[in-house]
Parts: sequence; structure tokens; C-alpha cells
Amino acid sequence: MSLFLIAALPFLGAVFPALLIRAGRNAAAASTGSVTLLALIGLLLNAPAVLRGETVSARLDWLPDLGLNANFQLDGLGLLFAGLILGIGLLIIIYARFYLSREDPMGQFYSFLLLFQGAMVGIVLSDNILLLLVFWELTSLSSFLLIGYWKHLPEGRQGARMALAVTASGGLAMIGGMLILGHVAGSYDISVILQHKELIQASPLYAPALILILIGAFTKSAQFPFHFWLPHAMAAPTPVSAYLHSATMVKAGLFLMARMWPVLSGTELWFYLVATTGLVTMVLGAVIALFKDDLKALLAFSTVSHLGLITMLLGLGTKAAAVAAVFHIINHATFKAALFMSAGIVDHAAHTRSIRQLGGLRHLMPVTFTLAGIAALSMAGIPPFNGFLSKEMMLEEAAHAVWAGSAYLLPAVAVFGALFSVAYSLRYIAHVFLGPKRHDYPTLPHDPAPGMWLPPAVLVALVVLIGLFPEAIAAPIVVSAADAVTGDHHSYFHPKLWHGLTPALYMSVVAVAGGALLLMLHRPAEGLWNALPRPEAKVIYDAIVGAATRASRSFTETLHDGALSRYSAIFLLFTLAIAYYAYASGDIGASTRAMQPITAMTVVGWVCLVGSALCVVAFHRNRLLALVLIGVAGLMVSLSFNYLSAPDLALTQISVEVVSIILLLLALNFMPQETPRESSAGRKLRDAVLSIGAGLGAGGLIYALMTRDFALPSISEYHLANSYKGGGGTNVVNVILVDFRGFDTFGEIIVLGIAAIIIFAITESVLGSRVRARLLNRKPWYPLAGDAHPLMMVVATRVMMPIALMVAAYIFFRGHNMPGGGFIAGLIAAIAVVMQYMASGFSWATERQGLPYHGIIGTGVLVAAATGMGAWFNGLPFLTSAFGYVDPPYLDEFELATAALFDLGVFLAVLGAVLLALQSLARFAWQPGIASEHPMDINPERDEATKTIEGH
Amino acid sequence: MNHWIIAPILLPAVVAPFIIMVIRYHRDLQRVFSVASVVALNLIALVLLAQAMDGTIGVYELGDWPAPFGIVLVLDRLSAMMVLLTTLLALAVVLYAIGSGWDTRGRHFHALFQFQLMGVLGAFLTGDAFNLFVFFEVLLIASYGLMIHGGGATRLRAGVQYVVYNLLGSSLFLIALGTLYSVTGTLNMADLAVRVAELPAEDTALLRVGAVLLLLVFAIKAAVLPLHFWLPASYANAPMPVAALFAIMSKVGGYAILRMYTLVFGPDLAVTDGLVGDWLLPAALLTLAAGSIGVLGARELGRLVAFSAIASMGTLLIAISLFTPQAATAALYYVIHSTFATAMMFLVADLVIERRGGALIPTPPMPQGGLVAALFFAGAIALAGMPPLSGFVGKLLVMDAARDSDQVWTVWAVILVTSLITIVGMARAGSILFWKAHDHSVLPPDPPEHTDDGAPVAADLAPEPVPGLAFVPVFALLTALVALTVLAGPAMRYTEATAAQLFAPADYIETVLQRPGS
Amino acid sequence: MELLLASAVGILTASGIYLILRQRSFPVIIGLSLLSYAVNLFLFATGRLALNQPPILNKYAEAAYTDPLPQALVLTAIVISFGMTAVVVMIALSAYLSARNDRIDMTDETGEDA
Repeated sequence: MSLFLIAALPFLGAVFPALLIRAGRNAAAASTGSVTLLALIGLLLNAPAVLRGETVSARLDWLPDLGLNANFQLDGLGLLFAGLILGIGLLIIIYARFYLSREDPMGQFYSFLLLFQGAMVGIVLSDNILLLLVFWELTSLSSFLLIGYWKHLPEGRQGARMALAVTASGGLAMIGGMLILGHVAGSYDISVILQHKELIQASPLYAPALILILIGAFTKSAQFPFHFWLPHAMAAPTPVSAYLHSATMVKAGLFLMARMWPVLSGTELWFYLVATTGLVTMVLGAVIALFKDDLKALLAFSTVSHLGLITMLLGLGTKAAAVAAVFHIINHATFKAALFMSAGIVDHAAHTRSIRQLGGLRHLMPVTFTLAGIAALSMAGIPPFNGFLSKEMMLEEAAHAVWAGSAYLLPAVAVFGALFSVAYSLRYIAHVFLGPKRHDYPTLPHDPAPGMWLPPAVLVALVVLIGLFPEAIAAPIVVSAADAVTGDHHSYFHPKLWHGLTPALYMSVVAVAGGALLLMLHRPAEGLWNALPRPEAKVIYDAIVGAATRASRSFTETLHDGALSRYSAIFLLFTLAIAYYAYASGDIGASTRAMQPITAMTVVGWVCLVGSALCVVAFHRNRLLALVLIGVAGLMVSLSFNYLSAPDLALTQISVEVVSIILLLLALNFMPQETPRESSAGRKLRDAVLSIGAGLGAGGLIYALMTRDFALPSISEYHLANSYKGGGGTNVVNVILVDFRGFDTFGEIIVLGIAAIIIFAITESVLGSRVRARLLNRKPWYPLAGDAHPLMMVVATRVMMPIALMVAAYIFFRGHNMPGGGFIAGLIAAIAVVMQYMASGFSWATERQGLPYHGIIGTGVLVAAATGMGAWFNGLPFLTSAFGYVDPPYLDEFELATAALFDLGVFLAVLGAVLLALQSLARFAWQPGIASEHPMDINPERDEATKTIEGH
Repeated sequence: MNHWIIAPILLPAVVAPFIIMVIRYHRDLQRVFSVASVVALNLIALVLLAQAMDGTIGVYELGDWPAPFGIVLVLDRLSAMMVLLTTLLALAVVLYAIGSGWDTRGRHFHALFQFQLMGVLGAFLTGDAFNLFVFFEVLLIASYGLMIHGGGATRLRAGVQYVVYNLLGSSLFLIALGTLYSVTGTLNMADLAVRVAELPAEDTALLRVGAVLLLLVFAIKAAVLPLHFWLPASYANAPMPVAALFAIMSKVGGYAILRMYTLVFGPDLAVTDGLVGDWLLPAALLTLAAGSIGVLGARELGRLVAFSAIASMGTLLIAISLFTPQAATAALYYVIHSTFATAMMFLVADLVIERRGGALIPTPPMPQGGLVAALFFAGAIALAGMPPLSGFVGKLLVMDAARDSDQVWTVWAVILVTSLITIVGMARAGSILFWKAHDHSVLPPDPPEHTDDGAPVAADLAPEPVPGLAFVPVFALLTALVALTVLAGPAMRYTEATAAQLFAPADYIETVLQRPGS
Repeated sequence: MELLLASAVGILTASGIYLILRQRSFPVIIGLSLLSYAVNLFLFATGRLALNQPPILNKYAEAAYTDPLPQALVLTAIVISFGMTAVVVMIALSAYLSARNDRIDMTDETGEDA
């Protein structure tokens, strides 16, 4: 079967349990099992070839530019691991079916399990380190889901997050390492990398790459000091623990080290990093395991210890050690999975995993006792079981290892570790199953249904068989896997139960005897142990994570404290700094332009403009006054435009000024009339400095620009030259607006339109909220004028209305040739209407003009767009204008330009937008009773009204 | 004359006023037209992509005035790609807005939505600096409207901040443009490129000021530290679907930087030497850091996603600020990922907030919790840059592209560490939102004591969701991310070609300035 | 003249910015309008200053014209900033009415009506 399919099957299969769970738990389990079985069969089909020493591979380009390709290969090592993953996976699936209770969502469980299985298979089959990284992180993610499966348990949630944090960070470190490695080797394909040992070990980047990769491997395989996550992952359901921590997840790190062994191993650095870490982990794990009362915790730490053992073997760097490592991987997988399952059985039956509450179970659970007993003895390294064989090989290798010049250190420590592992293994038997029957079990235990004890039974059978006939059963796979690791083709593997009186045998005898002795002294030893101060990893981890979270929270919330004034200040400071740097680091020539003369009038204008601006700052707390003052400033600006030969700007500025002031006045009507004093002196100083800086910047920049000529001729010369010929207008500014750059204008009227509908929408939502009630009962800030609609004003505005409209029309039509145009005309027309509102009151005016403002805006934009598209019919681009002249009788020659039509669009959009905006605002003001049908009447209730208000 | 180029701008510009004029009181008609328009836009975008695919550069001279005197729209690989990205995102968002009923929580959602699209698409297509300003304003003002859609005191106040900050930005934009015009005497980008290249030495100072001010304007949009302050509050308080749409708005800033500083102020241009990458790269690194720290520290789901958006902008800008073709290739790939991932996460956030509120505190299980949790998990994976989604590929590409930079170790360290922080933050949030809910100790929270005065009460503003529809776009975005991962190869080939086109601007300039066809 | 205009731009900018840095929405809006005056003058002046040379073509005599392009740009800018002002005024007003508080900063655990 193709490797792609083998790797993909679990992922594809993950769908089935999720769906089939509706058909019952058996259906879910069966589907999961058959998917796994299928993959296993597919794998075994490739086995013969691999055992013959061939390498099966399947390659597919995914991201060749990066070197990330879906390249898979199957060699001995891959076969061994894939076999363990799928085989034990199958047993776990059966076991879990009977282990999980009815409340547990079993569909989810099996989906997660398959995802995890797929990720693991992917790791061991990858021939591309980037692809391997993908699967590597996937195992972290899927194990996160599995460990947190019992989401109602805090231990489960925390254990899951801890496992994710530790393993994922290792994965990230590995990304760095792998990128370096691939860079050095010139390829990300493992098969290629493995051929560049010298190149890689010679590279100065070898050390960083090795360290980063090892961090990845150590975190995954729970090596000291990253071992602490594994015991906490025990909060997962036992099948998960049995799977993740015997055969799969934690073996991924070992796999990686084995995989990279040919290129990375054999250096001092490798030896001291890997062997030492392994040794420390082995001893530490073994010691802690002995003093754990929770069965699963005991097994967890024993796992840590055995992983350390294998790591150490890989670290020794000799081929024999590598062979031993491979062999122990198999053995550990078998007895450890069996032990976890037996622990699960006990937990299931007795409803406790605490050794203190157990004992004497052999009378009640003979089957479980047999299985657990054999597995535990194998773990202890007692012949004739497989654990004995690999431990002998380990001790043999240790005996020959020289650590930092001392030939005794490493063997001694190894024996010490072995001794403890004997002790806790025996304790698992003695304190749980042996001893007298007790009468205080939480529930009376009994052997489980075959579905639960058969899977461990299978494994235990292996334990025994491998122990008795290693050559026959284990040799082929071990050899071919070892070949894959060491890269030569005749690894030496001839394990015997008895091979004479070797140092290893003595060491092992010492270990067993010492272990048994230690177990007898368990109580005093435990007292001693509890007396020792020990750092609790979880506490430290939680402290770190908690601190990090708090730190980032306070950092974030101090930085983003919601103070816009501060944000703006930072913005200004940064801008000024960068701009100054840009200026200072460039060169600037002398000014090249003659200045315009300064006349008395300009000085007066300047004084008014500047004065009004400064007064606004000085008196801004009185908001009404501030409005009046910026009105003055606006007026002065418009005058200066006029003076500096920009009549269009002058007209626009002044009409915009009028409208915006009206707008602000209406808004101010609802807002506080005064701005309170709340800035501290220091704050004012800061702002003053910033604003003066900004002022100097802007002023200086424009001065520098104005006093120099264009470095290169401006494109506007073309506009002047073609405005009449090509655009048919003598007012170049207007021609630019409606023709050369008509598209800008198109966007501009759309902006206006949007503004209007936003204002409308806001008004709707505000008036649709509780605010409306407050608006209705609002008391005006000042006593209302007696007659809201003074006679004079009403008359005046009504007379002016037609005149204003006439002016608007005039301005509109002359626009193309003289100052004016649709925009200004629109504003004037709008003002004409607004005057009526102001003079005669909202209700009165609304009744008498039924203009659909939305409609007007829409029409405006559409007319402009339609005009633009008109050009398409002549095969010309959007907004291409056409014009001609007609000479109607009794009238002057008259121009018809499509540009005028476009300008009409502008006119309408502006008119509609302004009116809609002002009308929306006016709707805020509406209160029952203020609508007077006869705006010219004197309001008879004036005095009462005044009184009531003064009353408040 | 090829009118396709202007179609993506005109279509929404016509549909929106039509909606306003004719059917502003017909909710369903609005929905129909809005969706139809977006679908049409997608088709147009595909046509444009097909035209740009082979590297031809399309020019559309508005008003038939030759560049640089009139305004031109330019279609190249980059703009075509961004247009398609926008329209795809728009489709998802508009469907979600309808599905969740958000579009009925205020007036004129669909009109504003169309205008927003017009602005974004225009910004991607225009070849004229001042016209770019106009389109920026169009998309900004539309975004103001969308951001406060539905009202509510907090949202409105956040709106004020958003508007004011961006008005500062717009003023800066005008000053920058004025400076550039006043030195070079032109506004057309291609013409700018030519003139800047042949600028006499003594005027560099003023030009440099103009160039850097323009960069700052774009940096605001792209939320580069320390100009990112507008983003968290605005995105977190905007309606989540709108925030999802904004995912493309911040990309407009990134696009503009990439465009302007490859075309006009190219990386090896003496005049603007040391102005761009030198501070942009550190700033981008800080942005990424600040973003991921914000993810870990967030108390509220909306802010969490907002900060992860900042983080992904940081990653994007790291790639952009390296200004090499390889880095640009990575950046362009990452743009696609970041847009879809951020948008998806905002939509998921809305699903959560609608069911249990946004605060990151345990509450009892929510309806459809499993489905939402799965989507959250996927989105978190994407944003944290974990496999198997495109974020991982994008991250690898960026790191790989940084290899030749002298900052390589800093870049790698920052990217990897921030990923870890993000992972931890996301795991924390997810576990609180979806797992802790099943803890037996968890009780329903007390109802909020002070009711928000701005909240709409009128019946006709109550949301009218279309059941089930809300999930479709979320899954669609997820599918897009998966597709982007699986088809990483082809996608890379396109972005590679795009980057090549960007770093060889001569072709662009020729085509724009010498009227094609005649 | 250039000096006067430049200084005017500077002072308008400064006063505008100062108000924008205040803490209530209304002064900020006033500041924005001042700033927009400054920016418009700035943009206008990038076409250099000229007296009595309006860019209205004279069909009958040769005449000098000032640079029309910046004027067109300023026109667009004026209109846009008008629209923006209108929107920000309305948003600020609604925010004030909804929150009963016209602070611009949202440092709001103390915020509501503090």
C-alpha cells in the first residue's frame, strides 16, 4: 500500500467515529479499529521489502520553492515505530471501548485518537524534515485535545495546556534547528541530509542546530528538565496515557534522535548533552517513581526514567548502544502499555489508583495480577522477560562508557537508576496485588470483561515470547531498524538470557538485590524522601505562566489605556522625529524664488487669521465663542485664497464654512456649553511643546517648498494648455475637477454621500435607543426666545429663497468658464433651504418641502456615474467628456458639455448630503410642543416658559 | 479599450446609491442586491486576474487623458491579486452579516458595505497618488459608518477615537502629497518614479520628508507600532463582521507600502536611502511582539482577536520591510493567509459573543458549543501559525526569506517566541471559553448591572438572522485556508511572479507613461 | 508674503494640534477644523503663491496663470474634510448622548460620568 495512503488513512478515518457515534459506541469503535487495522495491514505489506533492507519511498512536490515536500520513506526504523503506533493503537482502541463510560463522548475520543495516530505515523514516515515538523506540531495539538478530553476536570485542562506549551515550544525551537540544518545540508530531505555528516558537523552552525533540535526532542520525550509535563498529562483517560506514554508521543523525541543519529551523533557535544541528560532523567525518574502513590503517576515517572535510559543509549554514540536502544524501545512499549492498561483496570474496578488504598488484589483479580505481574517483572529487568535482555545490553554499554575521564561514574549511576527501577517495579506488584486482602476498597474489585484484559494480555504474551526467543521474534526488525539508525548493514544483535558472568550480570544482580532491599525499606526511605525539600515543577510552571499572563496583561493595558490624547501625542512625536531625521539626512539648496510683496492689507489679514486661531485656543472652553472665532478664521482663509488668485477656493471655503458652522451650532445645542479645566500644568506644557513642534514643522516645510521652484516642470502646464482645447472650459480649476481629474471629484461626492447616510444611520440608531427619551425631556440650556421665529427673519428668508436659488443656478452654469461650479452651487442651494428651517422652524419647513434627500443623493451619484459611462458608447474611457456650442436666438453663445452633466451630479449629491445631514441633526431637537404651525406668532407662553426654566 | 479595470470600482459605486434611493426600506431586496453585487465583483476579479496572470499590465486612462496628466487605473499581478482577495473576503463577510442579522441592527449596512468595497478596490487599482488619497478617504469614511453600525455608547466612543486618529492620518497624507507634488511637480505614481530617479541632488531633503511622511500614513493603516493604537479599541468594539472586513483594510496599508516603496522609492534608490527598511523592520518586530503579548493578556475575546490581527500585520510587515523579491513573495503569500485567518477568527468571535458574551470568564456551555469550539481551534491554529494550516507555511516562508538579512537571528527569535506566546494565549482563551464551561463549579454570571444607554430598543432595529447561514462563510474561510495550504505550490508561483514584477518596475512605468495601444 | 503664509500655516497647525490633544470631544473637533484650514493652505501653497493670476483662461490676451492643480486638489480636500467633520461631529454627539460623557479618552473604569 502506498505510504501516502498509510499516512492519510487515520486522518481520513477520523471522520467516521465522529459520525458513526450516532449509530452507537460499537460502530464508532469498530470503524476506528478497522481504519487502524487497514493502515497496519498496508504497512505490513511493505514489511518484507524493508526487512530485505530496501527503502520504500513515495514523493510528492508540495512547496518546492521552500523545500517543503510531501516525501515519505519507510525503512527499518520507520517500520518499527509505525508498527508499534498502529499495533498498540489497535489494542488501545479495543481497550478504550470498554474503558470509557457512557457519559464520555466516545465519537470525539476516537476522532482525536485517529488524528493523533495519523500525526505519529506521519512523523515516522516523513523523509522531509519540514514535513516532519508539520506532523510533529500536529501531535502536540492532537495530544492537547486528548489530554484535555475530560474537560470538566481542572487537572485535565491544566495538564493539556502544560503539555501543549512545553511540547509546542520544543517544536518551535526545532523549526529553527531544522531550518539551519536544511540550510547547511542544502536540502530538507532526510535521505539527503543523512549523507552529509562531515559537512554538517564541520559547520559552525552545527552546535546551534543540534541544541535547538535536541530541545525539541527532549521536550517531546520528557527529558530532564522538561520532564514535568508528562506526569500531569496523566489526567487523561487511561487509554490515552497508555497510548501516548508507552508507544507513541514520548517516543517521537527518541525517534527523532535515532533518525538524526547518523549525522548528529558521534561528537563530544552530542555525547555530553544527550548521554548526560538521559542518565540524569533515568535516575531522577526512577527515584521519584518509587515514592508516588498514584499508580499512573508511578508509571508516568517510570516512563520518564526509561525514556532517559534510551536517550542515554543513543547518546553513547556507539553502534551497539544504538542497537540496545532500539531493542529497549520495543520492550518498553510492550510492558509499559500493558502496565498502564492494568492500572486502568484496577482504577476501573476499585475506583482508586492510590496504592495506599490498595493491596491484596491478587485474590480478587487473578487475571489482572498475572498480567500486571509479568509486565512489572519485565520492567524490573527480571529474566526471562524481554526487559531483562535490553537492560543487560544497557548495562553492558554503560559499563564501557567513559564519562569525563571516569570509567566508573556512568556505570555506577546506571546501576543506581536500575536499582530504583527494580524497586518501584516490585512495589507495583507488592503493594497493589500482594499482601492481605483489605476490607476498605472504595468498591469491591473484580476482574474486568475480556475486552479490557485481552489487549494487555496480547502485549504480555509478547513480553514473554520476546524474552524467551529474542532471536526468532525480535531480531529481524531490531536489526533492520538498527541498520537504519547506524547506517551500516550488519548490526550485531544476539541477545541471550545467559551469556556468562559478564560485568553486566553483576551490575544487574546488584540492582535486583538492592532494589528488593530498598523496597523493604520503603517506609523509612519514604519518610526520608518526604523530609527532603523538592521543587514541585507544576508550581514553578504555573508561577511562570501566571506571571507571564499578568505581565502581558498589565503591559498591554498600560500601553493601550484608551487615552486617545496620549495616542495622538505619541503619533505626533514619532512623526516629527522621523520627519526631522529624513530632513536632516538630506541636502537642501538655497531658495530660488523671489518672494511676493507684503502689503499692509496682507498684514492685517494675517493678524486676523492668526489672532482668531490663537483666540480659539485661549477661549476654547467657551464653546460658543470658539465657534464664532473659527468662523472668523475660516473667513480669513477664504479671503487669503481670493487674494492669492484662487477665486474658486474662496467661494468654496466660505460656503463650506457657513454650512459647517451651522452644523456645529446645531450639535453644540445638545452638548455642554463649557469645557471643564482638567489638564494638569505638565500636561499642558507637553501639549504646547508638541503642537509648537508640529507648527514649526508644517510652517517650515511649506516655507522651504514655497521659496523653491519645481525641480521639474509641473504637469499642470499641460492642464493650462489643454483646458480650453480639450476640456472646453476656461476655468482651468473647474475643468481639472470635472474633466482632467473628474475621478477624484467622483470619489469626493461619494464621500459626501456616505457622510450623509452615516449621519442618517446614526440618528436612527440613537433615536431608536433609550437616548430618545432623554432628548424628549431635555431642558434647553438657556431660556427660549419668546418668539422662536422672528417676523423679520421669516420674511427676509422667504424673500431670499428664490434669489438664492437663482444665484445657485448662475454659479452652476458659469462654473465651467468662470469661478463657480456644481459644488458651490449645491452648497448655496442647500443654504437657501436651511435658511427656511432656521427662520420658520423645522416642522413648518418640512411640511412645505417634501424633498427625498436620500433620493437626491442617490440621483446625484448615479447621474455623475451615468455621465461618465456615457463615454463608453463612443468607445472612450469612463468620464471622457464631450462638448459643443449652441447659439440659441436672442441669447449669447452657450456651451453644452457632458462635464456640466457630471457637475449636475455633483450639485445634487452635495445638496442632498448637506440637507440630509442637517435634517438628521434637527430631528434630535424635536420635542412635543415646540412645533408651531404658525411660525410668525408670538409665543404667549413665553413668560411661563421662562419661569419654569429659571425654576430649574 | 478594456473597461474591465474600472468595473470593480463602478459596480459598487452604482449599486450603493441604488440601494439608498430605491430599496432602503426593503431589507430582503437590499440583501439580494448586496450579495449579487459581491458575486459579480468576484467574477470581475477573476477576469482581471486572468488578464494580469501572464504579466501584462493594463492601463485605464480616465477621461481619455494621457498619464501623467489625467488619472490612470493600473492592473498588474499585485492589484489583480488584492482585488480578488478583497472580493472573496467580502462575499464571506456579507453572507455572515446577513446570516447573523448584523445587517439589520442599523441603517444602510449594505450601502456602506458597497461603498467600503469601492474604496478598497479603488485603492488597489489606482495609479495616481492623489487619487489614492481620495480612495483612502472613501474607504475610511465608509469604515466609520460600518464601525459604529448598531450604535451603543462604548462603540460610539471608540468610533470617535477611530475617526479622530484617522483624520490626523488624512491630514498627514495631504501634507505628504503636497510636498511630493511641490518637489516633483507630478502626482502620477509612474511619473513620480521617473522624476524621483532624476531628481537633482540639492532637493533631496524635502523629497525625503515627503517620502517618509507618506510611509507613516501607510504605516498607520498597517497598524505598525507605535502608530497602531487606533486598532485594538476600534476592531474590538466594531461589529465583528465589520472587523472581519477590516482585515483587508489594514492590508491596504501594507499594499501601499509595498507598491510605493518598490515602484517610486525603490529599495536601492539613493535619494530615500535609509528611510524605509531601517526603521520599518524593527517597528514590525515590535508590532509582532506587542500583538502576541496582547493576545496572551486579553480579557475579552474581541480584543484578543484584534491583537492577533496586529501580530499578523507585524509578521507581514517583517516580510515587506526586507524589500527583497524573495521576502515579497513570502509577504504576498502571507497577506492572503492573514486576511482569511483574521477574518475567520473575527467571525468565530462573533459566534461566541452572540452566545455567551465576549468576556474571558467561565460561563455555562453555549449552544452548538462543540462546533464553535472546533472552529475556534482551527482559527487559533491558523493565527498562531501552527500546522496544518497556511499560517505555518507562511511563517516558514517569512523565516526562510529573512535568512539573508543581517537581522536574521532577531527575526527568527521574535517570530518563534511570539508564536509560543500566541499559542499559550490561545490555549488559555479556548480552555476558558469551551472547556471550563463544563466544569461543575461554573455558575451563570450575574446580568450586567448598568444597561448601555446607546443600545437600540426599537423593534425595527432588532437583528433578524437567517438561521444556519452564519456558519457557511466561516467554513468557507476555513476551506480557503486549507486550500491555500494544499495549493501552496501554485500560490507561491503566482506570488513569486508578482514579486518579480514589483521589483522590475520599468515595465510598469513604460506601460503607464507611453499610452499603450497607440 | 510667503513668510506670512508659512507662519499662518504653522500657527494654525499648532493651535489645531493643541486643541486635538484636549480631553473633550468638542475642542478636539474644533482643533480638527483648524488643522484642516492649515492643511488646505499648505496644499494650496504647494503651487507657489501668485497675485492676480487666477487660472481663468483669458481668450483675448496672453496672461500668466498661477498653478491650477493644487487649487483643484484643495477643493477636493475641502469637500472631503467637510464630510469628515460632519461625520465626526455626529458621532461625537451621539457618543455624548449615549454615554452622558464627552470625554475623548476611554480610560474608563472611572470613565462613565467621572
